[in-house]
Amino acid sequence: MNEWTIAIIKVVFIWSWTLLIATIMTWVERRGSALIQDRLGPNIAGPFGLFQPLADGIKLFTKEEFAPKHAHKILFTLGPVLFAIQAFSAYAVIPFGDKIVINAKEIVLQVADVNIGFLFVLAVGSLAVYGFVVGGWGSNNKYSLLGGLRATAQLLSYEVPLGLAMLAVCMTYGSFSLREISLDQAGTFLGFLPNWGIFKQPLGFLVFIVAAYAEANRVPFDLPEAESELVAGYHTEYGGMRLGLYLFGEYVNLYTLSALMVTIYFGAWHIPYVDMSSYLGPLAYGIVSFLVFFLKCAFFLWLFVWVRWTIPRFRFDQLMGLGWKSLIPLGLLNLFVTAFLIQITV
Amino acid sequence: MDWYFWIFAVMALGGGLFTITYKDILPCAMGLLTVFIAMAALYLHLNAPLVAVFQVTIYAGAILVLVLFVVMLLMSPGEKIKKSQVNCSNRFMGAVLTVGLMIFLGIGTKGLSDMIGAKELPEKFGNPGQLGIVLVQKFILHFEVVSVLLLAALVGAIYLAKKRI
Repeated sequence: MNEWTIAIIKVVFIWSWTLLIATIMTWVERRGSALIQDRLGPNIAGPFGLFQPLADGIKLFTKEEFAPKHAHKILFTLGPVLFAIQAFSAYAVIPFGDKIVINAKEIVLQVADVNIGFLFVLAVGSLAVYGFVVGGWGSNNKYSLLGGLRATAQLLSYEVPLGLAMLAVCMTYGSFSLREISLDQAGTFLGFLPNWGIFKQPLGFLVFIVAAYAEANRVPFDLPEAESELVAGYHTEYGGMRLGLYLFGEYVNLYTLSALMVTIYFGAWHIPYVDMSSYLGPLAYGIVSFLVFFLKCAFFLWLFVWVRWTIPRFRFDQLMGLGWKSLIPLGLLNLFVTAFLIQITV
Repeated sequence: MDWYFWIFAVMALGGGLFTITYKDILPCAMGLLTVFIAMAALYLHLNAPLVAVFQVTIYAGAILVLVLFVVMLLMSPGEKIKKSQVNCSNRFMGAVLTVGLMIFLGIGTKGLSDMIGAKELPEKFGNPGQLGIVLVQKFILHFEVVSVLLLAALVGAIYLAKKRI
Protein backbone atom coordinates (compact mmCIF):
# COMPACT_ATOMS: atom_id res chain seq x y z
CA MET A 1 0.00 0.00 0.00
CA ASN A 2 1.43 3.36 -0.91
CA GLU A 3 0.77 6.66 0.82
CA TRP A 4 -2.08 7.61 -1.48
CA THR A 5 -4.07 4.45 -0.89
CA ILE A 6 -3.67 4.84 2.85
CA ALA A 7 -4.77 8.47 2.73
CA ILE A 8 -7.83 7.63 0.65
CA ILE A 9 -8.79 4.74 2.93
CA LYS A 10 -8.50 7.01 5.97
CA VAL A 11 -10.62 9.72 4.39
CA VAL A 12 -13.32 7.28 3.28
CA PHE A 13 -13.29 5.51 6.63
CA ILE A 14 -13.67 8.62 8.78
CA TRP A 15 -16.23 10.08 6.38
CA SER A 16 -18.48 7.03 6.51
CA TRP A 17 -17.85 6.56 10.22
CA THR A 18 -18.96 10.12 10.97
CA LEU A 19 -22.07 9.66 8.85
CA LEU A 20 -22.83 6.37 10.57
CA ILE A 21 -22.49 7.99 14.00
CA ALA A 22 -24.71 10.89 12.91
CA THR A 23 -27.32 8.40 11.73
CA ILE A 24 -27.23 6.43 14.95
CA MET A 25 -27.36 9.66 16.93
CA THR A 26 -30.84 10.43 15.54
CA TRP A 27 -31.96 7.13 17.07
CA VAL A 28 -30.07 7.77 20.33
CA GLU A 29 -31.66 11.19 20.57
CA ARG A 30 -35.18 9.83 20.22
CA ARG A 31 -34.70 6.84 22.48
CA GLY A 32 -32.82 9.03 24.97
CA SER A 33 -35.60 11.59 25.11
CA ALA A 34 -38.09 8.77 25.56
CA LEU A 35 -36.02 7.31 28.40
CA ILE A 36 -35.85 10.68 30.16
CA GLN A 37 -39.54 11.43 29.63
CA ASP A 38 -40.63 7.92 30.63
CA ARG A 39 -41.89 6.95 27.18
CA LEU A 40 -40.88 4.15 24.82
CA GLY A 41 -39.72 6.02 21.74
CA PRO A 42 -39.28 4.38 18.33
CA ASN A 43 -39.21 0.64 19.02
CA ILE A 44 -40.94 -1.01 16.05
CA ALA A 45 -38.41 -0.99 13.20
CA GLY A 46 -35.79 -3.66 13.95
CA PRO A 47 -34.30 -4.57 17.34
CA PHE A 48 -34.88 -1.66 19.78
CA GLY A 49 -36.06 0.39 16.80
CA LEU A 50 -32.49 0.54 15.50
CA PHE A 51 -33.63 0.65 11.87
CA GLN A 52 -35.65 3.79 12.51
CA PRO A 53 -32.89 6.10 11.09
CA LEU A 54 -32.97 4.00 7.91
CA ALA A 55 -36.71 4.50 7.57
CA ASP A 56 -36.29 8.22 8.29
CA GLY A 57 -33.61 8.44 5.62
CA ILE A 58 -35.78 6.74 3.00
CA LYS A 59 -38.62 9.06 3.86
CA LEU A 60 -36.44 12.18 3.58
CA PHE A 61 -34.91 11.05 0.29
CA THR A 62 -38.20 10.22 -1.38
CA LYS A 63 -40.01 13.35 -0.27
CA GLU A 64 -40.79 16.02 -2.84
CA GLU A 65 -38.15 18.76 -3.04
CA PHE A 66 -40.46 21.65 -2.38
CA ALA A 67 -39.52 25.33 -2.28
CA PRO A 68 -42.01 28.04 -1.32
CA LYS A 69 -43.07 30.46 -4.02
CA HIS A 70 -41.42 33.54 -2.53
CA ALA A 71 -38.16 31.87 -1.61
CA HIS A 72 -34.94 32.85 -3.32
CA LYS A 73 -34.40 29.59 -5.22
CA ILE A 74 -30.59 29.56 -5.34
CA LEU A 75 -30.04 30.68 -1.75
CA PHE A 76 -32.72 28.27 -0.56
CA THR A 77 -30.75 25.35 -2.01
CA LEU A 78 -27.35 26.76 -1.10
CA GLY A 79 -28.10 27.08 2.64
CA PRO A 80 -28.16 23.38 3.63
CA VAL A 81 -25.25 22.65 1.27
CA LEU A 82 -23.04 25.29 2.92
CA PHE A 83 -23.96 23.97 6.35
CA ALA A 84 -23.24 20.36 5.45
CA ILE A 85 -19.91 21.12 3.75
CA GLN A 86 -18.45 22.81 6.81
CA ALA A 87 -19.82 20.11 9.11
CA PHE A 88 -18.30 17.27 7.11
CA SER A 89 -14.89 18.90 6.61
CA ALA A 90 -14.11 19.87 10.21
CA TYR A 91 -13.13 16.35 11.28
CA ALA A 92 -10.14 16.29 8.89
CA VAL A 93 -7.58 17.39 11.49
CA ILE A 94 -8.91 15.64 14.59
CA PRO A 95 -7.33 12.28 15.45
CA PHE A 96 -9.47 9.18 15.95
CA GLY A 97 -6.87 6.94 17.55
CA ASP A 98 -3.13 6.69 18.04
CA LYS A 99 -1.48 4.65 15.29
CA ILE A 100 -1.81 1.24 13.78
CA VAL A 101 0.97 -0.92 12.35
CA ILE A 102 0.16 -3.09 9.35
CA ASN A 103 2.94 -4.95 7.52
CA ALA A 104 5.57 -2.96 9.41
CA LYS A 105 4.04 0.25 8.13
CA GLU A 106 3.02 2.82 10.70
CA ILE A 107 -0.31 4.50 9.98
CA VAL A 108 -1.33 7.48 12.07
CA LEU A 109 -5.06 7.42 12.82
CA GLN A 110 -5.73 10.97 11.69
CA VAL A 111 -6.50 12.30 8.24
CA ALA A 112 -4.12 15.26 8.35
CA ASP A 113 -1.74 16.20 11.15
CA VAL A 114 -1.29 19.88 10.37
CA ASN A 115 0.57 22.13 12.77
CA ILE A 116 -2.33 24.57 12.96
CA GLY A 117 -4.79 21.79 13.83
CA PHE A 118 -7.27 23.41 16.13
CA LEU A 119 -7.17 26.76 14.37
CA PHE A 120 -8.42 24.86 11.34
CA VAL A 121 -11.32 23.46 13.36
CA LEU A 122 -12.11 26.96 14.60
CA ALA A 123 -11.94 28.44 11.08
CA VAL A 124 -14.19 25.78 9.57
CA GLY A 125 -16.55 25.96 12.54
CA SER A 126 -16.88 29.71 12.12
CA LEU A 127 -18.36 29.13 8.65
CA ALA A 128 -21.32 27.20 10.10
CA VAL A 129 -23.27 30.41 10.51
CA TYR A 130 -23.57 30.85 6.72
CA GLY A 131 -25.76 27.78 6.50
CA PHE A 132 -28.21 29.40 8.93
CA VAL A 133 -28.05 32.87 7.42
CA VAL A 134 -28.37 31.80 3.79
CA GLY A 135 -31.14 29.32 4.57
CA GLY A 136 -33.01 31.81 6.74
CA TRP A 137 -32.73 34.65 4.27
CA GLY A 138 -33.42 32.45 1.24
CA SER A 139 -36.66 31.15 2.74
CA ASN A 140 -38.06 34.69 2.73
CA ASN A 141 -40.13 34.05 5.83
CA LYS A 142 -40.07 36.15 8.98
CA TYR A 143 -39.50 33.22 11.34
CA SER A 144 -36.66 31.94 9.19
CA LEU A 145 -35.16 35.41 9.00
CA LEU A 146 -35.34 35.83 12.78
CA GLY A 147 -33.72 32.42 13.19
CA GLY A 148 -30.88 33.44 10.88
CA LEU A 149 -30.50 36.76 12.69
CA ARG A 150 -30.23 35.02 16.05
CA ALA A 151 -27.75 32.54 14.63
CA THR A 152 -25.39 35.32 13.51
CA ALA A 153 -25.31 36.97 16.92
CA GLN A 154 -25.10 33.71 18.86
CA LEU A 155 -22.43 31.93 16.86
CA LEU A 156 -20.33 35.06 16.59
CA SER A 157 -20.42 35.65 20.36
CA TYR A 158 -19.64 32.10 21.40
CA GLU A 159 -16.74 31.65 19.03
CA VAL A 160 -14.69 33.98 21.22
CA PRO A 161 -14.87 31.96 24.50
CA LEU A 162 -14.38 28.75 22.51
CA GLY A 163 -11.21 30.16 20.98
CA LEU A 164 -9.97 31.52 24.33
CA ALA A 165 -10.43 28.16 26.05
CA MET A 166 -8.62 26.34 23.25
CA LEU A 167 -5.81 28.88 23.29
CA ALA A 168 -5.16 28.18 26.98
CA VAL A 169 -4.89 24.45 26.20
CA CYS A 170 -2.47 25.22 23.41
CA MET A 171 -0.33 27.24 25.82
CA THR A 172 -0.36 24.41 28.37
CA TYR A 173 0.85 21.80 25.89
CA GLY A 174 2.93 24.18 23.78
CA SER A 175 1.53 23.08 20.44
CA PHE A 176 -1.25 23.81 17.97
CA SER A 177 -1.17 20.28 16.58
CA LEU A 178 -3.98 18.15 17.94
CA ARG A 179 -1.88 15.00 17.65
CA GLU A 180 0.95 16.48 19.70
CA ILE A 181 -1.54 17.65 22.32
CA SER A 182 -2.97 14.12 22.46
CA LEU A 183 0.47 12.50 22.78
CA ASP A 184 1.40 14.90 25.59
CA GLN A 185 -1.51 13.69 27.72
CA ALA A 186 0.06 10.32 28.52
CA GLY A 187 1.28 9.63 32.05
CA THR A 188 0.58 11.60 35.19
CA PHE A 189 1.47 14.92 36.78
CA LEU A 190 1.77 15.96 40.45
CA GLY A 191 2.33 12.25 41.04
CA PHE A 192 -1.25 11.03 40.92
CA LEU A 193 -3.49 12.93 38.47
CA PRO A 194 -3.68 11.72 34.87
CA ASN A 195 -1.95 14.18 32.56
CA TRP A 196 -5.26 15.22 30.99
CA GLY A 197 -6.39 18.63 29.85
CA ILE A 198 -9.35 18.63 32.23
CA PHE A 199 -7.06 18.51 35.28
CA LYS A 200 -4.76 21.19 33.94
CA GLN A 201 -7.53 23.42 32.57
CA PRO A 202 -10.68 22.87 34.66
CA LEU A 203 -11.99 26.41 34.17
CA GLY A 204 -11.07 26.29 30.49
CA PHE A 205 -13.05 23.09 30.09
CA LEU A 206 -16.12 24.66 31.70
CA VAL A 207 -15.94 27.62 29.33
CA PHE A 208 -15.30 25.31 26.38
CA ILE A 209 -18.19 22.96 26.99
CA VAL A 210 -20.73 25.77 27.47
CA ALA A 211 -19.50 27.53 24.34
CA ALA A 212 -19.51 24.24 22.45
CA TYR A 213 -23.19 23.72 23.23
CA ALA A 214 -23.94 27.19 21.91
CA GLU A 215 -21.82 26.65 18.80
CA ALA A 216 -23.53 23.35 18.08
CA ASN A 217 -26.86 25.15 18.41
CA ARG A 218 -28.15 22.68 21.00
CA VAL A 219 -30.60 23.13 23.85
CA PRO A 220 -30.28 25.11 26.15
CA PHE A 221 -28.87 27.41 23.46
CA ASP A 222 -30.90 26.45 20.39
CA LEU A 223 -32.33 29.95 20.02
CA PRO A 224 -32.05 30.03 16.20
CA GLU A 225 -34.64 27.26 15.95
CA ALA A 226 -36.56 27.74 19.21
CA GLU A 227 -39.78 25.96 18.24
CA SER A 228 -41.93 27.62 20.86
CA GLU A 229 -41.14 31.08 19.47
CA LEU A 230 -40.05 30.72 15.84
CA VAL A 231 -41.88 27.59 14.59
CA ALA A 232 -38.59 25.98 13.55
CA GLY A 233 -36.41 29.03 13.01
CA TYR A 234 -34.11 29.00 10.01
CA HIS A 235 -35.37 25.65 8.70
CA THR A 236 -39.09 26.39 8.95
CA GLU A 237 -39.58 26.14 5.19
CA TYR A 238 -37.37 23.13 4.64
CA GLY A 239 -38.43 19.57 3.99
CA GLY A 240 -37.05 16.46 2.40
CA MET A 241 -33.32 15.96 2.13
CA ARG A 242 -32.62 19.68 2.40
CA LEU A 243 -33.91 19.52 5.96
CA GLY A 244 -32.06 16.23 6.26
CA LEU A 245 -28.77 17.98 5.53
CA TYR A 246 -29.40 20.49 8.33
CA LEU A 247 -30.28 17.79 10.84
CA PHE A 248 -27.42 15.56 9.72
CA GLY A 249 -24.95 18.42 9.78
CA GLU A 250 -25.95 19.18 13.35
CA TYR A 251 -25.18 15.63 14.49
CA VAL A 252 -21.90 15.60 12.59
CA ASN A 253 -21.04 18.85 14.39
CA LEU A 254 -21.85 17.19 17.71
CA TYR A 255 -19.49 14.35 16.89
CA THR A 256 -16.72 16.75 15.87
CA LEU A 257 -17.11 18.78 19.06
CA SER A 258 -17.17 15.63 21.22
CA ALA A 259 -14.02 14.37 19.52
CA LEU A 260 -12.40 17.77 20.05
CA MET A 261 -13.31 17.72 23.75
CA VAL A 262 -11.89 14.23 24.13
CA THR A 263 -8.75 15.18 22.25
CA ILE A 264 -7.85 18.30 24.17
CA TYR A 265 -9.39 17.69 27.61
CA PHE A 266 -9.87 13.96 28.13
CA GLY A 267 -6.58 12.40 27.16
CA ALA A 268 -7.58 11.35 23.64
CA TRP A 269 -6.91 7.58 23.42
CA HIS A 270 -5.03 7.28 26.75
CA ILE A 271 -6.38 5.28 29.68
CA PRO A 272 -5.20 6.76 33.01
CA TYR A 273 -2.32 4.92 34.76
CA VAL A 274 -2.19 2.24 32.04
CA ASP A 275 0.14 2.31 29.08
CA MET A 276 -1.74 0.19 26.57
CA SER A 277 1.05 0.01 24.02
CA SER A 278 3.21 -2.08 26.37
CA TYR A 279 0.55 -4.81 26.75
CA LEU A 280 -0.90 -5.05 23.26
CA GLY A 281 0.52 -5.92 19.89
CA PRO A 282 0.82 -3.07 17.36
CA LEU A 283 -2.32 -4.02 15.43
CA ALA A 284 -4.46 -4.64 18.52
CA TYR A 285 -3.15 -1.41 20.05
CA GLY A 286 -4.34 0.58 17.05
CA ILE A 287 -7.81 -0.89 17.23
CA VAL A 288 -8.07 -0.52 21.01
CA SER A 289 -6.89 3.10 20.88
CA PHE A 290 -9.61 3.81 18.33
CA LEU A 291 -12.23 2.12 20.50
CA VAL A 292 -11.13 3.94 23.67
CA PHE A 293 -11.26 7.24 21.81
CA PHE A 294 -14.68 6.45 20.46
CA LEU A 295 -16.07 5.37 23.84
CA LYS A 296 -15.04 8.69 25.33
CA CYS A 297 -16.70 10.47 22.40
CA ALA A 298 -19.82 8.39 22.90
CA PHE A 299 -20.08 9.65 26.47
CA PHE A 300 -20.03 13.27 25.29
CA LEU A 301 -22.52 12.52 22.54
CA TRP A 302 -24.82 11.09 25.19
CA LEU A 303 -24.18 14.15 27.34
CA PHE A 304 -25.46 16.35 24.51
CA VAL A 305 -28.70 14.35 24.45
CA TRP A 306 -28.94 14.22 28.22
CA VAL A 307 -28.58 17.99 28.58
CA ARG A 308 -31.02 18.65 25.75
CA TRP A 309 -33.86 16.84 27.48
CA THR A 310 -33.02 18.10 30.97
CA ILE A 311 -32.40 21.84 30.81
CA PRO A 312 -34.92 24.36 29.47
CA ARG A 313 -34.03 26.92 26.83
CA PHE A 314 -32.44 30.29 27.66
CA ARG A 315 -33.97 33.61 26.69
CA PHE A 316 -32.03 35.49 24.03
CA ASP A 317 -30.82 38.33 26.28
CA GLN A 318 -29.74 35.76 28.88
CA LEU A 319 -27.82 33.95 26.18
CA MET A 320 -25.97 37.08 25.10
CA GLY A 321 -25.36 38.07 28.73
CA LEU A 322 -23.90 34.67 29.53
CA GLY A 323 -21.63 34.83 26.50
CA TRP A 324 -20.27 38.33 26.88
CA LYS A 325 -20.46 38.92 30.63
CA SER A 326 -19.51 35.50 32.02
CA LEU A 327 -17.79 33.25 29.51
CA ILE A 328 -15.50 35.78 27.85
CA PRO A 329 -14.20 37.26 31.16
CA LEU A 330 -13.76 33.71 32.51
CA GLY A 331 -11.93 32.69 29.35
CA LEU A 332 -9.62 35.70 29.61
CA LEU A 333 -9.01 35.05 33.31
CA ASN A 334 -8.18 31.45 32.50
CA LEU A 335 -5.76 32.60 29.83
CA PHE A 336 -3.96 34.96 32.21
CA VAL A 337 -3.78 32.42 35.03
CA THR A 338 -2.40 29.83 32.60
CA ALA A 339 0.21 32.26 31.30
CA PHE A 340 1.18 33.20 34.87
CA LEU A 341 1.52 29.56 35.95
CA ILE A 342 3.62 28.74 32.90
CA GLN A 343 5.86 31.73 33.68
CA ILE A 344 6.51 30.74 37.27
CA THR A 345 6.98 27.02 36.63
CA VAL A 346 9.28 27.17 33.61
CA MET B 1 1.93 27.89 -15.40
CA ASP B 2 0.86 28.09 -11.79
CA TRP B 3 -2.66 26.68 -12.05
CA TYR B 4 -3.34 26.85 -8.32
CA PHE B 5 -2.65 30.58 -8.28
CA TRP B 6 -4.69 31.29 -11.42
CA ILE B 7 -7.75 29.34 -10.30
CA PHE B 8 -7.98 31.15 -6.98
CA ALA B 9 -6.95 34.54 -8.38
CA VAL B 10 -9.74 34.35 -10.95
CA MET B 11 -12.11 33.16 -8.25
CA ALA B 12 -11.21 36.11 -6.01
CA LEU B 13 -11.56 38.65 -8.81
CA GLY B 14 -14.81 37.14 -10.05
CA GLY B 15 -16.23 37.12 -6.53
CA GLY B 16 -15.20 40.74 -6.07
CA LEU B 17 -16.80 41.85 -9.32
CA PHE B 18 -19.99 39.98 -8.45
CA THR B 19 -20.06 41.65 -5.03
CA ILE B 20 -19.94 45.18 -6.41
CA THR B 21 -22.22 44.71 -9.41
CA TYR B 22 -25.07 42.49 -8.17
CA LYS B 23 -28.07 44.26 -6.65
CA ASP B 24 -29.32 41.67 -4.16
CA ILE B 25 -27.60 41.96 -0.80
CA LEU B 26 -27.17 38.39 0.41
CA PRO B 27 -25.75 36.96 -2.83
CA CYS B 28 -23.34 39.91 -2.69
CA ALA B 29 -22.24 38.76 0.74
CA MET B 30 -21.70 35.27 -0.67
CA GLY B 31 -19.52 36.86 -3.35
CA LEU B 32 -17.46 38.53 -0.65
CA LEU B 33 -17.20 35.19 1.16
CA THR B 34 -15.81 33.67 -2.04
CA VAL B 35 -13.19 36.42 -2.16
CA PHE B 36 -12.12 35.74 1.42
CA ILE B 37 -11.88 31.98 0.89
CA ALA B 38 -9.95 32.40 -2.36
CA MET B 39 -7.55 34.78 -0.61
CA ALA B 40 -7.06 32.23 2.16
CA ALA B 41 -6.23 29.61 -0.46
CA LEU B 42 -3.66 31.99 -1.98
CA TYR B 43 -2.07 32.57 1.44
CA LEU B 44 -1.77 28.81 1.82
CA HIS B 45 0.03 28.77 -1.51
CA LEU B 46 2.48 31.35 -0.15
CA ASN B 47 3.42 29.05 2.77
CA ALA B 48 1.47 31.12 5.27
CA PRO B 49 -1.09 28.67 6.74
CA LEU B 50 -1.58 30.75 9.87
CA VAL B 51 -2.51 33.87 7.91
CA ALA B 52 -4.85 31.74 5.77
CA VAL B 53 -6.62 30.35 8.82
CA PHE B 54 -6.97 33.79 10.38
CA GLN B 55 -8.28 35.13 7.09
CA VAL B 56 -11.10 32.60 7.24
CA THR B 57 -11.75 32.85 10.99
CA ILE B 58 -11.71 36.62 11.26
CA TYR B 59 -12.83 37.97 7.90
CA ALA B 60 -15.23 35.23 6.80
CA GLY B 61 -16.22 33.99 10.25
CA ALA B 62 -16.53 37.25 12.17
CA ILE B 63 -16.46 40.48 10.17
CA LEU B 64 -18.69 39.37 7.32
CA VAL B 65 -21.07 37.77 9.83
CA LEU B 66 -21.26 41.08 11.69
CA VAL B 67 -22.04 42.86 8.42
CA LEU B 68 -24.75 40.29 7.70
CA PHE B 69 -26.17 40.82 11.18
CA VAL B 70 -26.64 44.51 10.43
CA VAL B 71 -28.02 43.73 6.96
CA MET B 72 -30.58 41.37 8.43
CA LEU B 73 -31.66 44.00 10.95
CA LEU B 74 -32.06 46.73 8.34
CA MET B 75 -33.27 44.99 5.20
CA SER B 76 -35.71 42.27 4.30
CA PRO B 77 -35.32 39.46 1.76
CA GLY B 78 -36.29 40.42 -1.77
CA GLU B 79 -35.38 44.07 -1.24
CA LYS B 80 -33.02 45.37 -3.93
CA ILE B 81 -30.23 47.83 -3.24
CA LYS B 82 -31.29 51.28 -4.43
CA LYS B 83 -29.32 52.63 -7.32
CA SER B 84 -27.35 55.66 -6.28
CA GLN B 85 -27.42 58.80 -8.40
CA VAL B 86 -25.36 58.37 -11.52
CA ASN B 87 -22.78 61.07 -11.92
CA CYS B 88 -20.84 60.49 -15.13
CA SER B 89 -17.86 62.72 -14.41
CA ASN B 90 -17.39 61.14 -10.96
CA ARG B 91 -17.51 57.68 -12.46
CA PHE B 92 -15.01 58.63 -15.12
CA MET B 93 -12.65 60.09 -12.51
CA GLY B 94 -12.99 56.96 -10.43
CA ALA B 95 -12.22 54.70 -13.37
CA VAL B 96 -9.14 56.71 -14.37
CA LEU B 97 -7.79 56.80 -10.83
CA THR B 98 -8.36 53.05 -10.37
CA VAL B 99 -6.62 52.11 -13.61
CA GLY B 100 -3.74 54.42 -12.73
CA LEU B 101 -3.44 52.89 -9.28
CA MET B 102 -3.52 49.36 -10.74
CA ILE B 103 -0.70 50.21 -13.17
CA PHE B 104 1.36 51.73 -10.38
CA LEU B 105 0.80 48.71 -8.13
CA GLY B 106 1.62 46.28 -10.94
CA ILE B 107 4.86 48.00 -11.90
CA GLY B 108 5.80 48.51 -8.26
CA THR B 109 5.32 44.82 -7.43
CA LYS B 110 7.27 43.76 -10.49
CA GLY B 111 10.12 46.13 -9.64
CA LEU B 112 10.15 45.01 -6.04
CA SER B 113 10.21 41.31 -6.91
CA ASP B 114 13.07 41.94 -9.40
CA MET B 115 14.99 43.83 -6.74
CA ILE B 116 14.58 41.12 -4.10
CA GLY B 117 14.83 38.16 -6.45
CA ALA B 118 13.93 34.58 -5.61
CA LYS B 119 14.97 33.48 -2.14
CA GLU B 120 14.98 30.17 -0.33
CA LEU B 121 12.40 30.06 2.43
CA PRO B 122 13.95 30.10 5.89
CA GLU B 123 13.38 26.98 7.95
CA LYS B 124 9.97 26.65 9.65
CA PHE B 125 8.67 29.59 7.62
CA GLY B 126 5.01 30.26 8.36
CA ASN B 127 5.07 28.07 11.44
CA PRO B 128 2.89 29.61 14.21
CA GLY B 129 5.71 29.51 16.76
CA GLN B 130 8.08 31.24 14.38
CA LEU B 131 5.52 33.91 13.63
CA GLY B 132 4.98 34.51 17.34
CA ILE B 133 8.70 34.94 17.94
CA VAL B 134 9.02 37.42 15.09
CA LEU B 135 5.96 39.31 16.28
CA VAL B 136 6.89 39.76 19.93
CA GLN B 137 10.65 40.07 19.56
CA LYS B 138 11.54 41.78 16.31
CA PHE B 139 8.35 43.75 15.75
CA ILE B 140 7.25 44.29 19.35
CA LEU B 141 6.86 48.06 18.89
CA HIS B 142 4.59 47.70 15.84
CA PHE B 143 2.65 45.02 17.66
CA GLU B 144 2.05 47.26 20.66
CA VAL B 145 1.16 50.27 18.50
CA VAL B 146 -1.50 48.18 16.80
CA SER B 147 -2.90 47.05 20.14
CA VAL B 148 -3.10 50.65 21.36
CA LEU B 149 -4.89 51.57 18.13
CA LEU B 150 -7.39 48.76 18.66
CA LEU B 151 -7.91 49.80 22.27
CA ALA B 152 -8.58 53.38 21.17
CA ALA B 153 -11.11 52.11 18.61
CA LEU B 154 -12.77 50.00 21.29
CA VAL B 155 -13.06 52.92 23.72
CA GLY B 156 -14.35 55.15 20.93
CA ALA B 157 -16.98 52.62 19.92
CA ILE B 158 -18.22 52.25 23.49
CA TYR B 159 -18.32 56.03 23.89
CA LEU B 160 -20.35 56.43 20.70
CA ALA B 161 -22.75 53.63 21.57
CA LYS B 162 -23.34 54.67 25.17
CA LYS B 163 -23.74 58.40 25.60
CA ARG B 164 -24.05 58.18 29.38
CA ILE B 165 -21.48 55.87 30.86
